Amino acid sequence: MTTWLARKRESGFLLAVPTIAWLLILFVLPLVIVLIVSFMSRGRGGVAIMPFTIEHYQRTLGIFSIILWRSIGLAALTTLVCLVIGYPLAFFISTRRNRLFQQVTLFLVILPFWTNFLIRTYAWRILLGDEGTINGFLLSLGLIDDPLPMLNTQFAVLVGLVYGFLPFMVLPIYASVERFNFRYVDAAYDLGANDLRAFLRVVLPLTLPGVLAGCALVFIPSVGAFVTPDLLGGAKGLMIGNLINNQFGGSGNMPLGSALSIVMMAVVMLSLLVYLLANRRDRGA
Amino acid sequence: MSTTDVELSDIVKEFESGGTIVRAVDQVSVQIADGEFFALLGPSGCGKTTTLRLIAGFEQPTAGRILIRGRAMEGIPAYHRPVNTVFQDYALFPHLTVEQNVMFGLQMEGLGKKEARKRAEEALEMVRLPGVAKRKPHQLSGGQQQRVALARALVKQPAVLLLDEPLGALDLKLRKNMQYELKALQRDVGITFIYVTHDQEEAITMADRIAVMNEGKMLQVGKPEEIYERPGTRFVADFIGETNFIPATLLDRDSAGRGMVQLPTGDVIPALLSDALQAASGDVTLALRPERIGIFDQLTSGDFQQGDMTTLDAVLVDSQYIGTDTRYTLRIAEDTNLVARMQNVDGQDKAALAIGQAVKISWHRSSATVLDH
Repeated sequence: MTTWLARKRESGFLLAVPTIAWLLILFVLPLVIVLIVSFMSRGRGGVAIMPFTIEHYQRTLGIFSIILWRSIGLAALTTLVCLVIGYPLAFFISTRRNRLFQQVTLFLVILPFWTNFLIRTYAWRILLGDEGTINGFLLSLGLIDDPLPMLNTQFAVLVGLVYGFLPFMVLPIYASVERFNFRYVDAAYDLGANDLRAFLRVVLPLTLPGVLAGCALVFIPSVGAFVTPDLLGGAKGLMIGNLINNQFGGSGNMPLGSALSIVMMAVVMLSLLVYLLANRRDRGA
Repeated sequence: MSTTDVELSDIVKEFESGGTIVRAVDQVSVQIADGEFFALLGPSGCGKTTTLRLIAGFEQPTAGRILIRGRAMEGIPAYHRPVNTVFQDYALFPHLTVEQNVMFGLQMEGLGKKEARKRAEEALEMVRLPGVAKRKPHQLSGGQQQRVALARALVKQPAVLLLDEPLGALDLKLRKNMQYELKALQRDVGITFIYVTHDQEEAITMADRIAVMNEGKMLQVGKPEEIYERPGTRFVADFIGETNFIPATLLDRDSAGRGMVQLPTGDVIPALLSDALQAASGDVTLALRPERIGIFDQLTSGDFQQGDMTTLDAVLVDSQYIGTDTRYTLRIAEDTNLVARMQNVDGQDKAALAIGQAVKISWHRSSATVLDH
């Protein structure tokens, strides 16, 4: 028995070797390189040279902190809006009796993924632009005299991010509510809880794993978003992802870009840690 | 015991399922007295749980009226009704501790944490479950969870406690113990219990009155002994305990509830008419409980054929030892077998009755009940 189990463990490890090698070469190693580069000086053409310095971290947390905070703020706001829209939607879908209706609505939630993200983001330019669909419509109705400045604002970035990441909020919450036993709501009513209290004391805590997973899945890619702020945000909507992108371009600064990347990764790690802790507390171990 | 606690009048509940209307509860009317232990008994899908959910307020009746303590319940949501439920699967909140589960209802009433905790502790003691307050429901056994569910409902001191097959998930021995405990608890707290079960034995041993339901209808309401001794319909007689059904012809009936029926053997015998009997004559069914039939060896038969006893000839076809009793299968006519059951007692000559032997069987005339065919 023991030998069989031991052999099983051994062969199990062997099965994981390709994955481990892959991660070491293509994930851990580059990460180490980025970490080292982030402490090096900037040379001609933006490449990294000696000696070591912490100058880039000082700039990242100094002059660029406004963009860092903007990124975190926009990502948090995106998460909040996705939650406010996504929870009721997921709840609605998962509580339908008609199985076919459920499947069709879920399919509709995922449907935008069938079109390239870039194209969908360009479509928002057309919708939000000064001569765009929305402004054109409002102008033709005479509701406004001048086009509303929507494109190239943080608002546009928010709209684009919410639009892009909403399915990541809806799907885990859907799975949570689907598993939820509505007998608990009967029990809450029975014990004197009205709709709001039954929701806050019973439904929400028991679907929290889905909410937390959804928040992590929306917040993390939002912090590092690059295409959306690039196309919709203009100069006012610049996020840390764009900044990093610029540093690795022609006249950029690779060490600075590396430092920005490391800090961004720390933010993501921190939010993941919060997620894991909240999840563990929720399990009530 | 005299005042009415719960009154249902002409309750109808219809559900739509796949385009067709299904009547889950059909014209149910009943009055349940204050402090009564009332059982709703029937097979699965008979409408007993739906009836309970209507009283709790989880469902609204399609027609009819529900009164609790004289107050019409129409438009009153579940959370404002003076009733509490013990659910079949207990529905204990898995994210809360035992104590928090029991406190939940009190906090909804606006009770402070300290007071609620004290009352929760008392309630847990009442159901004999101290010392588990800080545990989560999943850390308890089924029997313990059942007690928590009971404490959580009783701590609210409801006018009526609704119990939906609360012992269904427990094993036989635990179930038996809980039956006595529940009954004792009900006597102590004096709260009206409405108890849904499909287990006829559970209903008979615990309830003050039983309502037998089938296909949404309340077929018969009465004390356990009434339901058992005087079943109104074939369904009730069949559902409660074991019964022999003998096809018979009703020849004559009098106004005092007695009649004469002819059996397939040709014998004409006296029997009691069920209150619900419709037929004035013709084809009927005679219901006879196995334990009410006595078997006598013809040779030793003395003067058993006396007074109100009915006696027939029979042949012993089979016998089956079942521990406390022995079950005998007896043929009285070509296609008509009866089952009789006699308790096994010491000193009884077990060899006395042999398969194939001709015997005499007898029963008291009031043991045979005439039902509609």
